[in-house]
Amino acid sequence: MRLPRLFRTNVFRLTLAYMALFALSVGALSAFVYSATLGYLDTQTNAIIEAEINGLRETYERSGLGGLRDVIQERSARDYEQERRSFYLLVDPIGAPVAGNLQAWPIGANDALGQWVDFVQRGSDTPVRALLLQVGAYRLLVGRDIREVTAIKQVLRSASIYGISLTLALALVGGLLLAISAERRLAEINRTTRQIMAGDLSRRAPLKGSDDEHDELAQNINTMLDQIENLLEGMRHVGDSVAHDLRGPITRLRNRLETVAAAEKPSRDDLADCVAQLDQVLATFNALLRIARVESGAYRSAFTTVDLKPIVQDVCELYQAAAEERHVTLRGGAAESVEVFGDRELLAQVLTNLVDNAVKYTPPGGVVRIELARSGDRAQVRVADSGSGIPLEDRSRVLQRFTRLDRARSQPGNGLGLALVNAVTLQHHGRLSLGDNGPGLVVTVELPALAPPRALVPSAAVR
Amino acid sequence: MRILVIEDDKDVASFIRNGLVQAGCNVDHAANGRDGLFLATTEGYDALVVDRMLPGIDGLTVIRTLRASANTTPVLILSALGEVDDRVKGLKAGGDDYLVKPFAFSELLARLEALARRAKTGSDAPATVLRAGDLEMDLLRREVRRAGKPIDLQPREFQLLEFLLRHVGQVVTRTMLLEGVWDYHFDPQTNVIDVHISRLRSKIDKGFERPLLHTVRGAGYRLDG
Repeated sequence: MRLPRLFRTNVFRLTLAYMALFALSVGALSAFVYSATLGYLDTQTNAIIEAEINGLRETYERSGLGGLRDVIQERSARDYEQERRSFYLLVDPIGAPVAGNLQAWPIGANDALGQWVDFVQRGSDTPVRALLLQVGAYRLLVGRDIREVTAIKQVLRSASIYGISLTLALALVGGLLLAISAERRLAEINRTTRQIMAGDLSRRAPLKGSDDEHDELAQNINTMLDQIENLLEGMRHVGDSVAHDLRGPITRLRNRLETVAAAEKPSRDDLADCVAQLDQVLATFNALLRIARVESGAYRSAFTTVDLKPIVQDVCELYQAAAEERHVTLRGGAAESVEVFGDRELLAQVLTNLVDNAVKYTPPGGVVRIELARSGDRAQVRVADSGSGIPLEDRSRVLQRFTRLDRARSQPGNGLGLALVNAVTLQHHGRLSLGDNGPGLVVTVELPALAPPRALVPSAAVR
Repeated sequence: MRILVIEDDKDVASFIRNGLVQAGCNVDHAANGRDGLFLATTEGYDALVVDRMLPGIDGLTVIRTLRASANTTPVLILSALGEVDDRVKGLKAGGDDYLVKPFAFSELLARLEALARRAKTGSDAPATVLRAGDLEMDLLRREVRRAGKPIDLQPREFQLLEFLLRHVGQVVTRTMLLEGVWDYHFDPQTNVIDVHISRLRSKIDKGFERPLLHTVRGAGYRLDG
């Protein structure tokens, strides 16, 4: 069997625990007050009785049993008149009362000589505390009415019980109220999240404006939802643009194939062209997949220490011939090794894409320059060309997938090169910036560099 | 060439099979890992084409099992997984080459021929001189001569020619060159390899009557012997 939801809430359980703690505290406090008060009253009563006995003892020592009897009789009479509630009784060896204001020796008190005894006086039902003493062959009882002490005891006892009960009741009510209010706030948030799970991503958790932890939770959930919505929007945008940009080439290919199929004698060249076009589409898909994989961080686990110098040299050399063929001067240099933590293939592809662009968009006679340098704790790769550059307003746009500026349309390409560069740079915790080379474009990739090997640091000067 | 294709996708399998038969190969096909392993261990093949993802026993396990039983038939792994770590895993399992789907058939054929050839010639005595026709490369002195006339090559051109000489008479694709000479496994957009080849060609073929370095349309290049 499950308890009703309210009783399963955390707040309610906490309240129960606090309730128990409170009851325990109140109980302990009551016990202390009870024993302290009673102890004080007892001591006071006993002190009065002891003082009287001291007086009586002196009388006995001074004037013997007869004197003692007279004093007791006198005090009993006075007490009776003034209702001072002291009790005396002197009995002879066989137990017959000799003097005092008690009719008889209390039952069962014979053996308790020299001890404190509490008993109820017959006839008047008065509770009495008394001390029993042996005086020669006689026995003496001196006592006091402890009706008030007993009454206070009673009051204290019931006060403790009421106190504890009241504390428990209040704690229970408070706990229920707290649990209900917390439950209500959380229920709102839960309802919202359930609606979102059901597909309505536009829902938001209500805010009370109270600025408490529930509001903070609701606020955080809402911010998270905004973020998710943005991401989804971004995904949708990418998906749309992928569909849109791939539809073009695929449609062209389809038309081409239709023409080929309709031809009397399909030519081998036409079919080869179709395959080449399809390869372009596949290359675009692969590039998209690669970007997606990079962005998902799939390569991160395989990151190692990579020296950028050989990569710069490789790519330089790889493009040297292609650049010369276009009458573009490609100059590149890496004065020193700069190590970063990353993926060699991806970094090589970044540089390849940048150099590819630079060579492609630089007119004959132009210069492309590749430089690797360490600047502080960062590795800096700069690829500068003397082409027409990218206008300031387009610079952030070209980093997105499928962005092809108008003047780029005459060149082969899929508009994914810089998107991959950007994705790889971000995955390496780097920064990509496009600048003006006046004329031309300069692309700077900055990556966190690893500290140079100790041996290469000139240390001779120190010695 | 006798080739075993272990591939569960019917379309891909028949595409490979038809192509290989047309190229004059003798082809067997197994649709799952167990049949493939059985055929590979009982018959003698020049090369195996193994898909990585197979029902039952997967491709890498097939290769590992073969290698464990001292079967050294060259293996070309086919895979839809094309990242560097996937490739490394495939080669570690005992594969000799790795081709990512989708692929051009010419690429597959070129790589298979290279594999089968490598296995046949063996590498017992590493050659110090490579030859193709009247072209000669001395690997120790790092000299290249054609018809006795010295040819001056840049270091990378030397590596490129060495790769072509090691695959003399075979088609070598652009990606094989990028992998074999530069050790990169991605596709540069501009065909930079073509430019390197044309420079090399101008150095080794210019002024000679018979050209050695040929372009194979839609596939790659071939250095004739």
